[in-house]
Amino acid sequence: MWFLSFIKTSIGKKLVMATSGLLLLSFLAIHAFGNAAIYMGSKYFQIYADFLHGFPVLVLIFGFGLLLIFLAHVGVGLLLFFEKRKTSSRYDVETRVVENTFASRTMPYTGAWIFVFLIVHVFAFNFGKPEGVKVSMLVQQYFSGFFYSLFYIISFIALAIHLNHGFWSMLQTFGLNHPRYNKLISTLTVAVPLIFLVIFGGIPIYFMTGSAAGY
Amino acid sequence: MMSTIDLTLKIWRQKNSDALGDFETYILRDISTDMSFLEMIDVLNEQLTREGKEPVAFDHDCREGICGACGAVVDGVAHGPDLETTLCQLHMRKFKSGDTIVIEPFRSIAFPIKKDLLVDRSALDRIIQAGGFVSVNTGGTVDGNSIPVSTETAELAMDAASCIGCGACVASCPNGAAMLFTGAKIAQLSLLPQGHPERKERARSMVTQMDKEGFGYCSNEKECELACPKGISIRNIARMNREFLKSFLLGE
Ligand code: HEM
Ligand code: SF4
Ligand code: FES
Repeated sequence: MWFLSFIKTSIGKKLVMATSGLLLLSFLAIHAFGNAAIYMGSKYFQIYADFLHGFPVLVLIFGFGLLLIFLAHVGVGLLLFFEKRKTSSRYDVETRVVENTFASRTMPYTGAWIFVFLIVHVFAFNFGKPEGVKVSMLVQQYFSGFFYSLFYIISFIALAIHLNHGFWSMLQTFGLNHPRYNKLISTLTVAVPLIFLVIFGGIPIYFMTGSAAGY
Repeated sequence: MMSTIDLTLKIWRQKNSDALGDFETYILRDISTDMSFLEMIDVLNEQLTREGKEPVAFDHDCREGICGACGAVVDGVAHGPDLETTLCQLHMRKFKSGDTIVIEPFRSIAFPIKKDLLVDRSALDRIIQAGGFVSVNTGGTVDGNSIPVSTETAELAMDAASCIGCGACVASCPNGAAMLFTGAKIAQLSLLPQGHPERKERARSMVTQMDKEGFGYCSNEKECELACPKGISIRNIARMNREFLKSFLLGE
């Protein structure tokens, strides 16, 4: 099986990381677009949510696909994490010439935080959703809790840090490294995580600060 | 005017690959700042020999930065503190009198220590044997410029080909990966027409061999790029990733 021998290799594993990372990123983009309807008011957000759930089979298929992609990312990420532990601290004097960024150093930990966040998040809005409560109201209910909102904001910061290294790392893994585009890539690896942070992180802040009075 | 410095050296001493090693401390006086790092170790070794002790074993050959034989980790940096410089081309004027210098071998799971600072880097040779070559029929010599190559491409291939196989990229990588070395070798051949007939097989077999030797994976830390005495760019790793993906998706 060519795929088995592919993921056995070091570069193959990294390509699985990068591909699953890209797919997760695309999902995030769509999710951010949909959730941005919250800023327009509960009516519009409910219209979006009802529209989305007007295709229950598609939502189910996409949900399962997403779960698989996510598990692949976490699984291979864990493999790489344990492999890395074998090689660290092998010198008496450790000097880094390139200061490794906080983001690259903490990839497995920001990743683990996102993992926990997603369990809480999916449980709150999917499996654990109380019967008969409109999702547009549920959002308001949850985010009026200070600690719940805080947890979300911290999680979106963790996601932004993860993507700060992840975005350029993914492009490098795909082989996209060219002097013509490197300036753009180094801008995007800051801009893309920030955009996600503003759209997602803005939602709890929106409710916490009372800007959502007319929601 | 010749200036001299006094140094304290902490050097990794290990009898053979099975022995447990440890650091030994040595004091060196009146080292000329015009000396190279290896000449400084020569002076230490003469001193040790006079005292009836075992000299420090280390690899070296050309001593002019072109063969790739030398190399050690100096104060945590492969080939020492000077950028784009091999250990043999590092000069003692980079150090101050009274400095303590810690000297360790290039460490990696794939580089067993033979003795002191001497490590077995034959794993890199086996990566080359797996595909880092072009097959040429014997017979009449082909005309040098029968296939035109653009200057830009030739320059990129030359940049990649300047890798001397020293292994500093592996020694400095937090993951002990040989991606820069393997990437440079694959890039050099994939850029030139002579390398094209075998390129699909090449990326796959060299990467497979690299993994088999126990080298790590790449988490894009960029440390290798600055440790490399030849300034090989990680753009070559990106090129290898493309070659590898192509060989798996489209190869036979
Ligand atoms: C929505 C969630 C996530 C997104 C969008 C995402 C995205 C990415 C991207 C784009 C990369 C770069 C891939 C590469 O270097 O080629 C990456 C790397 C990584 N991710 Fe995630 N990720 C997510 C969740 C997670 C989770 C939950 C974990 C672990 C529990 C995780 C662990 C890692 C690790 C360890 C790496 C670095 C691998 C390495 O060192 O090469 N990620 N992620
Ligand atoms: S890529 Fe640079 S550091 Fe690595 S073996 Fe070649 S010359 Fe040495
Ligand atoms: S001895 Fe040849 S490169 Fe240093």
